[in-house]
Amino acid sequence: MSGIRLDHVSKRYPNGVVAVDSVELDVADGEFVVLVGPSGCGKTTLLRSVAGLEDITSGTLYIGGEDVTGRPPQQRDIAMVFQDYALYPHMSVRENLGYGLKLRGTPRADRERRVSEVAHTLGLEELLARKPAKLSGGQRQRVAMGRAIIREPKAFLMDEPLSNLDAKLRVSMRAELSRLHERLGVTTLYVTHDQVEAMTLGQRVAVLRDGVLQQVDTPQRLFHKPKNLFVAAFIGSPSMNLVEAELTGRSVRFAGFELPLPRGSVAADRTGKAIVGIRPSALEHGGGAEHELPRIGVVPEVVEELGDETHVIFTIEAPPVSADAVLAATEASDQSEGKLFAGDERAMFTARVDGKRTVTVGDRLELAVDTGALHFFDPATGLALDAGTRTELVA
Amino acid sequence: MSVALERPAVQERTGRGIRWQRVGLHVFLAGAAILWLAPVLWTLYTSLRPFSDTAKNGYVSLPGALNFENYSQAWTQADLPHYFLNSLIITLPAVFLTLLFAAAVAFVVARLSFRFNVALLIVFMAANLLPQQVILTPLYRLYLRLPLPEFLSDSGLFYDSFIGLIAINVAFQTGFCTFVLSNYMKTIPASLGDAARVDGAGVLRQFFGIVLPLCRPALAALATLEFTWIYNDFLWAVVLVQSGDKRPITSALANLQGAYFTNFNLLAAGAMLAALPTLIVYALLQRHFISGLTLGASKG
Repeated sequence: MSGIRLDHVSKRYPNGVVAVDSVELDVADGEFVVLVGPSGCGKTTLLRSVAGLEDITSGTLYIGGEDVTGRPPQQRDIAMVFQDYALYPHMSVRENLGYGLKLRGTPRADRERRVSEVAHTLGLEELLARKPAKLSGGQRQRVAMGRAIIREPKAFLMDEPLSNLDAKLRVSMRAELSRLHERLGVTTLYVTHDQVEAMTLGQRVAVLRDGVLQQVDTPQRLFHKPKNLFVAAFIGSPSMNLVEAELTGRSVRFAGFELPLPRGSVAADRTGKAIVGIRPSALEHGGGAEHELPRIGVVPEVVEELGDETHVIFTIEAPPVSADAVLAATEASDQSEGKLFAGDERAMFTARVDGKRTVTVGDRLELAVDTGALHFFDPATGLALDAGTRTELVA
Repeated sequence: MSVALERPAVQERTGRGIRWQRVGLHVFLAGAAILWLAPVLWTLYTSLRPFSDTAKNGYVSLPGALNFENYSQAWTQADLPHYFLNSLIITLPAVFLTLLFAAAVAFVVARLSFRFNVALLIVFMAANLLPQQVILTPLYRLYLRLPLPEFLSDSGLFYDSFIGLIAINVAFQTGFCTFVLSNYMKTIPASLGDAARVDGAGVLRQFFGIVLPLCRPALAALATLEFTWIYNDFLWAVVLVQSGDKRPITSALANLQGAYFTNFNLLAAGAMLAALPTLIVYALLQRHFISGLTLGASKG
């Protein structure tokens, strides 16, 4: 039993900033949980609090069922991988790997055996005598990982360990990390700001915003059932298209379009304003989609051909959603950020269509909308409309 | 064709400009070096000439004879081996203690976070700004009253003891070293300390196992400087030590001066000998002055 449990953990800095706000999180024994959120959301502070590198202001922390709230890092039996690796530059790879064991008084013979085991696992045997300065980025990363696994701790804490690698290496290391976890089965809490990394690595993903936990769920559920606007806008790439819409009970109206709602939709029988979310994958080229799906006519402004799929970017006759949650998720301070052309007050939509279809910029295009996959949010609270709850919408 | 002709002309012009700048720079550097070395070279030259030669031809003249006569005379007449030993007995512990204390304070100031970080650093710096001459008399009196056990000082006091001299040098040098080391330690990534803590290192382990080894370039540079300064100290040795046989080599050079007559050739030879240890220390430590020791700690 070596899970991690956070019971109403808060961290308030002396200047009054609340970095972590009453977080409740239960990481089961052997589970891989990813903490994700935009920069400054408190995820690293939370991880450092679990490690014992930061004191928490209130709440209780359990590792392996024991209350470790007041304990220093060395008494928590955790290993941490840092964003910048933090290898000891004056020690060889062998000494770096063995340092933690040495401090814990592991006998020399034992230590050497474990070092060679880990070096073998991670392919570091040739590098044992080298100093970190003589290693490549990927090799340093492996040493940092080796330093964590050699101690066989109760839990791994990883702070954006892949963010300093180049894109290709990052993808392969991501897969390696998954394999490693599969093999060792050690409880892991992993921090990243990269939602693709979060979705591919995490058995469960915890989305954090301004120190508050938004949703903890499997990647699939986060993607298909986001609890609020922030999660919806943050998870998914390209991100979800959002627009303010009018519900009529049987259909949804926005930007001059009217789409009938299928039976059983959470928005059916509701009237009033709502924010509707359409994943780019819920928009398909009209030519290839099912006939019964409703169509919208758009004029592509940008076409990004990625081979298998094509991203079609177009504007619709409606203003972009300016809710704080959406801005926070896109890490923009206001609507103008991330825009090249000033003065365009219309929302940009992205559709992900089959790469085999030809799409031309400026030529009118029919897109089929999978109305069964639409998301609806309360514009006042930002919460997802749920079949179970019947919130009154603003008329 | 015209283009082809123009190009080299342009290159030549800029090339010549660079060359003149280079020449100017080298002339300036050579001049500065000569100016800097002239006193040393002249001392060396004088020390190699017999007294009779300079007495006859003056100091600014071509040599009649060159030999090491003055050196052997200085070595025996001034009892240099004895004073060398005195200097080392004072300097080595003083340098070691200065660096140890300064590193410890710098570690606390730079690597641990607590409320009085800056205040503590200012206190150490302020002590360094005090002119030594101002507190000469009070310190002299204080030393006459501070007792030491007999086995540490045969005078029974801080006054006229090696320990007293070591203490005063450590006290005056720690501020400067703390300042330099704390700035150096701030450049060591904080994550290294975090990693060590997670690995199981307490504060002492972090200090001796991680931070101190990484400060090697700064420590080597400071050790060289401090060795030179403490070794060359004349003021405190004269003020706080009474017995001639406890004085360091700098004040012992005075033994080579007579009351009515001074053999400058002999004095020059003594001074050259006295300067040797600082050169040796520099030669030994300079290979540690490597920058970028923390290279490879992080992403790089």
